[in-house]
Amino acid sequence: MIERVLAIVGSRWTRLVLVALVLLGIQTTLLNDLRPFGVMAQILVLFVASAGTIYGAEIGAITGLMVGLMYDAVLTTPLGSNALVLGVIGLLAGGLPYFVREPTWWSRVAVVVVLSALGEMLFPVFQALIGFEGWVQPRMLVVALVVATINLLLAPLVLPLTRWTLKESLVG
Amino acid sequence: MATYSGKRRRALILLALTTVMLITIDIRGGGASSGVRSLFGTVFRPVEGVARVVTRPISNAWYGITNYEDVVDENELLREKVAQQEGAAVAAAASVRLAQELLALNGLPTLAGINSVSAQVIGDSPSNFSQTVEINQGSESGIRVGMPVLNAAGLVGKVTKVYDDRSIVMLITDPAYALSVKIVKLPEEPVAPPPGEGAESTTTTTSTTLPAPTTSFIAGFTPGTTTIPNQVTRPTVQVPSLTVPSGNVDSVRETGVLEGRGPTRLPIVRFIDSSQRFGRVQVGSPIVTSGGSLSLAPPDIVVGTVSRINERLGTAGPVLEVSLVADLTNLSFVRILLYQPVTEQNGTTQTTVAP
Repeated sequence: MIERVLAIVGSRWTRLVLVALVLLGIQTTLLNDLRPFGVMAQILVLFVASAGTIYGAEIGAITGLMVGLMYDAVLTTPLGSNALVLGVIGLLAGGLPYFVREPTWWSRVAVVVVLSALGEMLFPVFQALIGFEGWVQPRMLVVALVVATINLLLAPLVLPLTRWTLKESLVG
Repeated sequence: MATYSGKRRRALILLALTTVMLITIDIRGGGASSGVRSLFGTVFRPVEGVARVVTRPISNAWYGITNYEDVVDENELLREKVAQQEGAAVAAAASVRLAQELLALNGLPTLAGINSVSAQVIGDSPSNFSQTVEINQGSESGIRVGMPVLNAAGLVGKVTKVYDDRSIVMLITDPAYALSVKIVKLPEEPVAPPPGEGAESTTTTTSTTLPAPTTSFIAGFTPGTTTIPNQVTRPTVQVPSLTVPSGNVDSVRETGVLEGRGPTRLPIVRFIDSSQRFGRVQVGSPIVTSGGSLSLAPPDIVVGTVSRINERLGTAGPVLEVSLVADLTNLSFVRILLYQPVTEQNGTTQTTVAP
C-alpha cells in the first residue's frame, strides 16, 4: 500500500501537477502584470509544446489536457476549452520526432515557437467555434507574434524544466 | 524519444472526452463547473499568493523601467486636472443632488436609492482573449451574478461569476458584453423665435406638457417616493418662467445595444433607430444605461460618449463607436450596485409589468 502511494507521489504526473501549479501561479501574477505591447506571455503553451517535442505526441497531448484543465479553472471561458487547445498543441508538438530523427535543441525551440504562435491563434478560434465570438480579429496576429517572440527567449529555460518534470524516474 | 502504450492512449482518449463533456456541461450552465472552479481556487489560491509575493519585485522593476516617464507625466497632468476640477466638483455635486431630488419627486428611479458594495480589483484575467477582472467581494457581501459594476467615472462592467469572497467582473470591452443603453441628445443652441411667437413659447405651463406619474413603470424597481406635489398636478397653476422646448419628452434620447469588441477597439452601439424621434446623433452625445424591466443595470449610469458615427445604408441605422468614461486599464476600486431586475430574482422569469 505504502509502496503504491509512494509510486503515485513519485510519478511524473504528480510532478506535472505540482510544476503546472507553479507555472499557473507565474502566469496569473508575473506574466499577467508585465504584458509587453499589451500582450501576456504564455508560459503554459510553451510548457505543453516543450513536453510534446521532448516526449512525443501522447505525453504532449496528456500534458496539454491536464495543464489546460487547470488553466480553465482560473478563467471564465468554458471549462475544457483551453484544455482541448493545449491538448492539440501538445499533440502537434509531438510530431517533431516523426520528422526529425534526432531533434537538436534549436529544432525543438523552433517548433515550440511556431506552436506557441499557433496556440495563441487557436484559443480565439476555438472560442468562436463553441459560440463565444468576437475575439477572432486582426489583433490575434499581433498577440501570436509577441507570444512567439517571448517564448523564443523563454524556451531555453523551460525545455530543461519540462524534461525534468516529465522524466519517467528521477533516479538514474 | 516517444514511447507508446495502450494504457497511455486510453488515458489520452479519456481526457479528451472529459474535456468535451466539461465544455458541454459548462455551456449548458450546470453548477458542477462552478464547484470545480471553486475547489481548484481553494488549492490554487495559496500557490498564487506565494507566486505574487515572490514575483512582485520583478513586476515592480518592470514597471519602473517601462512606465516611469509616463507616470511622471501623468502625475503632472492629474495635479493640473485636480486643481481645475476642485471648484467644478462642488457645483456638480449640487446639480446631481438637485437632479436626484427632482427624479425622486417625480417617481423616477435614481441611483441614490440603490445600495452598493465597494470592492478592490485584485487581478486581471490571465488570458489574452478575455476581458475580466477579479474583485475581493463575493456572495457574502450580497453580490449576485449580473449586477452592474461602476468606478468613480462610470460603468465598468457586470458581475459574471460569484464566489463566497470574490467575484469575476466582465468588462464593457469584452465581446460577450451587451447592454441596453440610451443616447442623450446634446443641448441645442437656442434659436430666436419668430416675432410674435416668443411670448407663447416661453410661457408654456406644466399642466399641458408634463405627465403626472404616480409610480414607476420599471418592473423590479421601487422608487423612494412617488408623491407628486400639488402645484404640478393642478392644471390651473401657471409657471411663467418655465420654458419647455417643443417635443422634448420624445426627443431626449434614443436607445441601442452596447457591445464590447476587445481591448484594442472601442465598444459600439447598434440598433439605433433611424433617428426619426431623436434627430441626428452627434459626436460627443453622452451615452447612459437605459434601464428597464429586463436590463441588468438601472437607468442613467454614465457609460461614455459617442466618438464616431458609422452611417449604414437602409433601415439598419447608424453604428456608434463609444469612448468610455471609465479607464479600464487602471482599475483599482469599484462599486457594485446591489441591483437586480425582477426577472432575475428568485431564479424565476417574470414578465408582468407594473401597471
